[in-house]
Amino acid sequence: MTVLEATGIRKHFGGVVALSNANLTCRQGSITGLLGANGSGKSTMSKIITGVYSADAGEIRYNGTPVRYRNPNEARKNGIAMVFQNLSLVADLTVWQNIVLGAEKKKGLFLNNRAAIALSREIVDQLLPGLDVRKMVHELNPGEMQIAEIAKAISEDPKLLILDEPTAALEHAQVKSLFDTMRALVDKGVAIVFTSHRLWEVMEICDDVVIFRNGANVANVDFSKDVKDPEKIVDYITGEAGKAKIEKSRRTVGDDIVLRVNNLNYGRFLKNIDFELKRGEILGIGGLAGQGQRELMLALAGNYPGVTCDVELNGKKIKLNRPANAIRNSILLVPGDRQLEGLFLGHSVFTNIIFPRLGLRRQPLFTPEKKYRQESQKVVDVLSIVTHNLDMPVNSLSGGNQQKVVVGKWLPFHTNVLLLADPAKGVDVGAKRDLYEYIVGQVKENKMSVILYASDNEELIGYCDRLMIMYEGQIVAALEGEEINDDTIVATSMRVDIGRGK
Amino acid sequence: MNNDSALKRLVSNPDFSRLLILILMFALTAVLQRNFFAMKSIVRNINSFTPLILLTMGQAVVILSGGLDLSVGTALSLMTCVLTSVMKEGAPITGFYALGVTFAVAMAIGMINGIGIGYLRIPPVIVTFATSFIWLGIALFLRPTPGGQTVEWFQAFYKIRNVEGSPPFLDALGEIVPPALILVLIGCLLWWVVSRTKTGRYIYAVGSNSQSAYETGINTDWVQMRACMINSVFIFLAALFFVGQNRSGDARMGDPLTLKAIAAAVVGGIALTGGRGSVYFALIGALIFSFVSKIIFFANIPNAYQTLFGGVIVIVAIAGSQIYTLSSRRTVEESKLT
Repeated sequence: MTVLEATGIRKHFGGVVALSNANLTCRQGSITGLLGANGSGKSTMSKIITGVYSADAGEIRYNGTPVRYRNPNEARKNGIAMVFQNLSLVADLTVWQNIVLGAEKKKGLFLNNRAAIALSREIVDQLLPGLDVRKMVHELNPGEMQIAEIAKAISEDPKLLILDEPTAALEHAQVKSLFDTMRALVDKGVAIVFTSHRLWEVMEICDDVVIFRNGANVANVDFSKDVKDPEKIVDYITGEAGKAKIEKSRRTVGDDIVLRVNNLNYGRFLKNIDFELKRGEILGIGGLAGQGQRELMLALAGNYPGVTCDVELNGKKIKLNRPANAIRNSILLVPGDRQLEGLFLGHSVFTNIIFPRLGLRRQPLFTPEKKYRQESQKVVDVLSIVTHNLDMPVNSLSGGNQQKVVVGKWLPFHTNVLLLADPAKGVDVGAKRDLYEYIVGQVKENKMSVILYASDNEELIGYCDRLMIMYEGQIVAALEGEEINDDTIVATSMRVDIGRGK
Repeated sequence: MNNDSALKRLVSNPDFSRLLILILMFALTAVLQRNFFAMKSIVRNINSFTPLILLTMGQAVVILSGGLDLSVGTALSLMTCVLTSVMKEGAPITGFYALGVTFAVAMAIGMINGIGIGYLRIPPVIVTFATSFIWLGIALFLRPTPGGQTVEWFQAFYKIRNVEGSPPFLDALGEIVPPALILVLIGCLLWWVVSRTKTGRYIYAVGSNSQSAYETGINTDWVQMRACMINSVFIFLAALFFVGQNRSGDARMGDPLTLKAIAAAVVGGIALTGGRGSVYFALIGALIFSFVSKIIFFANIPNAYQTLFGGVIVIVAIAGSQIYTLSSRRTVEESKLT
């Protein structure tokens, strides 16, 4: 029996189309996998079903009747529960208090805590025996929080359960017990939508999969009829279009090593990272979103005092315990979130470009305004930043030009290593090309070395000499030359090899 | 789990350091104040601590819900002015009218603050800073200078024996359990009941993460408003005590208590970010604060330096508990590793 049927869903945010024509069907007592690359519209679809967003067009039928929920609470009351990617727990309450939150039962005048604890313990024990439900949520590790979140969703006896990447924070054993719980729910007749970037999980647990690309369905694979073929699914996810769009520019990479990183560790985010960066090389970092790429970039720029590593720059040992240290060694970061990490939004282009200067040692007592203005003007000219004048506030510029300002603030500096964390995110095609052309030019002429993390594989394929794939905080593969293509990247990112090994 | 680690966990609990400070302050006061353990001094100490204790507990409730109330002091003043304006000396029945009217005023005060903080989403500091002037304005209108009339039996909120014609057993009870202590116990009982209902749970949830609480279907605005109204009840209890003690209303008397109540709540471990801490420990914070002023008073510190020393002691106490917590947490974590 069909529980949920979403047809022709459209949704756009500003000018960006998130879903163009998406369909999703869930049957009672079955698990439907939802697959797609980053930004293909999986999360948007889930959020439309549960009323977080409202669709621009299309119809959602729940148990045969058209519905349109205004908020997740309304959906929940009708039996649709969702486990959010970003956790919705209250940190200062205990696990059991979170599980019953909003659905507390009373006994006389007071809350019935004993029953709530018993209920919570029963649910949690299926998922993660040994997790004490009386612990405060802020004392849990990310995996345990995810379990608590799932327990909260299950406690409401949903008819349709949407799990949006529930396994991202879980360890292998926890994933197994989650799957057992999912199977038990399915036996009770619950319909489940399951998204995950790990292909082998989807192959193992799902009855059928729906694959999204650029906001529309590209394929539905029913595992009861069709063969389980991971390569084919990867093909569906990546698609034929967009392959080798960027003309790869040939460069010669020297042999001398600029940066050597050995045994870099940072908590659970980064584990045993080793790599070398050569002069005049663009080294790519790829993989699924949130596998530690961002943390690696920030660690190299000295943002985490807790990082342990051996780093040599041009054969000399250096420490990366503070951003100022990295900057002094000419390791410069263009951060991923320019608005949050890279710019002073309300301040002028001039202030933003000149600001890193002010942190250097041996600064004149008074800022040489005129000299700095000339330099800033030069930066604006070289990068062709479109701005009325130097005194325009940065937030009045377009996204692409803002990103150029972030790059531009390092322009007057000598650069050993330039760290680019997703520099083209939210930047239009023209500005993206400008930006990369400038960087490639610098690499060619000045033998600058670049580490580039991009969430868009196309950019990695187009510009990288070598590419490292990260998975759960580790580097799992290093690709070179012809290996750097879409299929190989997606296959190594999703660890198709692990799936085969099972 | 063996006893050793249970003890370790108790010692590493930040609240344990607060208890230690309380005991330290208690001991210091006991040494400095002559006759500290005499019934008379105990009653006198309880009387002088009570207003701050009640206001701190009320403030703690508001802070836990993610708010902050800068108007508690003037709200207290206003309530004393209302009480003394409604009461007519020699007409005992007016005492009951005053109780009713003032309780209604207290609820209105809580609701107005709650509307601002909850429904209108104005930053709590701004709302309550503004309303504090409204309460002050009304209080000054009612009572430009301290004074007013009270009924005879109202002194029962301070000292039962002062009430003429009260039964002897009540007099005796009042000597053993002073009315101030009963008011504090009523406050504790109030929070004990509230913390066992949805309201209490939701106050923590909203203060900790109002977005999550909202998505779980909790009416966060209404919860914050209820927190403000509970605070008003605490202020009301303090007003009863104050009028019982002084037999007058004063539009200016509450001012210095506002910031003291916030500071005492923080000393008691209430996080200003909301959602974390315990109302009972706020009471302990208020006690620590009160003992500090006693110590300064009895240590023969010259008048001119008393305020200065008070500030220094509070900072040292908070910093000490902070350092203690950090270092003990570190040892616990290290023992986990080995």
